[in-house]
Amino acid sequence: MKAMPTLEGGLRIDTEDASDWELLRSILGDANGCEADLASRLGAFVSEEAGGADWEEYVVPDLREGFHDELAEVGASIESAIYHADGGPGPIWITRDDVFPWYSSLNQARLAIEEHFQFGPGETVAEETLTPERRAAFMRSKFYCAIQSLLLEYVMA
Amino acid sequence: MADSETLTRTEEQVSLDVPWNVIVHDDPVNLMHYVTFVLMKIFGYDEKKATILMMQVHKSGRSIVWSGEREKAEFYVQQLQAHQLKTSLEKAE
Repeated sequence: MKAMPTLEGGLRIDTEDASDWELLRSILGDANGCEADLASRLGAFVSEEAGGADWEEYVVPDLREGFHDELAEVGASIESAIYHADGGPGPIWITRDDVFPWYSSLNQARLAIEEHFQFGPGETVAEETLTPERRAAFMRSKFYCAIQSLLLEYVMA
Repeated sequence: MADSETLTRTEEQVSLDVPWNVIVHDDPVNLMHYVTFVLMKIFGYDEKKATILMMQVHKSGRSIVWSGEREKAEFYVQQLQAHQLKTSLEKAE
């Protein structure tokens, strides 16, 4: 897989085979991979004294819906690109107009991986000691992080 | 005719509401540039101020990024959480 900035201020990702598409699809699976969803986890930071019960009732549902919509938008983009590439090598574009759902979805996936596997700061992880499942999750998180860094540098700047 | 009168005196006391702090907590996922970007976007801070606050989050584990009236503080916490930053709200001491 290759990713490069476009002249229009977006990002183009070129997949090389079906496994690259599966890697992109895994953004959604990872983002939804936690028992407690992200909106609830964030809502838990608001204490009872600060109105945590109201927050859970009124704010968390809106956050949940927003995160879900962003994932759905990215999922639809990926499926559309796979369809046009007939499942083989092909491009997918992230434009300035849709960069925030992409960044959000990648972040949701990374936050869920961290919540589940508790890697901590990436530079402190000894990859060779990880089980295959943890290593695969760690590598996916690093891949998502690399795309996020490109989005921050070239698209969101 | 009554031989006594009741006098009623009304006094107003005005005191300032206790300000609320909006706090961003460190986490190992959100990228430093992203945190700076979000603080600039939501609060309108310039890059220098947003970077200082981001570094406080990174080094101290948390930073008070805004203080003021409760309603506005809640709005900011909601905005920051919508950007997936771990954010809480607490009364200023």
